[in-house]
Amino acid sequence: MLSRRMLSREEEESVGDEKEVRKVDQERINRFSRIHSRHKAVEQELNAKQKEKEDLEEISTELELADEDDKVPYKIGDTFFTLPVPEVQEHLSSSVEKIDTQVSKLEERLGELSEEMSDLKEALYGRFGRSINLEA
Amino acid sequence: MDTTNNTTSNPRGIPSFPFLSNVNEYVKSLSDVEATLTRFQEMVSKYTFMQQNVERRAVGLREKLPEMKRTLEVVRFLRKKRGDTKTAPPSDGLGDEEDEEEDVDEELDSETKGSGEIETTFSLQDTLYAKATIKPAEIDEVYLWLGANVMVAYPLAEADELLQGKLEKAKDSLVAAEEDLEFLRVQITTLEVAIARVHNWDVGEKRKLKSQGLLPAEKDDGEDDGKGKDDKD
Repeated sequence: MLSRRMLSREEEESVGDEKEVRKVDQERINRFSRIHSRHKAVEQELNAKQKEKEDLEEISTELELADEDDKVPYKIGDTFFTLPVPEVQEHLSSSVEKIDTQVSKLEERLGELSEEMSDLKEALYGRFGRSINLEA
Repeated sequence: MDTTNNTTSNPRGIPSFPFLSNVNEYVKSLSDVEATLTRFQEMVSKYTFMQQNVERRAVGLREKLPEMKRTLEVVRFLRKKRGDTKTAPPSDGLGDEEDEEEDVDEELDSETKGSGEIETTFSLQDTLYAKATIKPAEIDEVYLWLGANVMVAYPLAEADELLQGKLEKAKDSLVAAEEDLEFLRVQITTLEVAIARVHNWDVGEKRKLKSQGLLPAEKDDGEDDGKGKDDKD
């Protein structure tokens, strides 16, 4: 958990005595930690959704080659319903739409979080230099 | 918007660790250092323990959510199918010709309406599926598993509502659990920083006293060095 990287004598002297942690600093550190965890979670979710989207698009492509009059088993919930191709395509396109909106929302959030993280990093490294370690 | 670390507010009763600007407020003299550090370490382990519990709860919820969504999807699908077939003239499940009076824009559904039956493959077991033919027009109720060996029949509309409600509650619990996790994370971070600060202060103090020659004899030194103790220049 705690990084036990100690500073060498010279590094310590260059840091000086004034590097007391102020409330503002603590809050920045806490905020960084919080954003970092959120960022990881959003990234995971985004990857999962993108994979889902890929799968859906693959199925859509395959279905285009299928005969219109055919019935295909389409999974809703835990059960397969044998439905005509056009209906399945309808379901698929609405799912793809939904996932698209979710993906773009997640990507937006990720961008915002990354931006804030780099701002905080700048501020904290500026103040503490080598006395702090902000890498995961 | 930002949930600032307020030292007095604790969501769901988790104690918060107060931040003190001056390290001296954590620790008054060198003799306190050891005890304080031990106390902090203890607190870190308590918070970590709490964190693991909440994490486990959140993981469970996250697993249940997709299943709830899937069940709801099926109920909605059945409703849609039944709702469509209700507008069709009572058909005994044969012959599309009878549906010609239908709205033309219902074309897509007229085929399924015409047959009125859907063949389904549902899972009895992970690797075992069974075929069944269902008539959405005749499905008015679904059986929902409520847990604890209890299964209840619900009319479709009620089932929809019930599942929706359960899903919302689960989502809320998940949000609360994630909030708790963030809060715990913040407390642990503050504690870790406090430990580092106390340690640094300790090192600084020892050096200062040593240079002034006021350092009390160290127990683990083994040296009977009386020099430091008595010099008071």
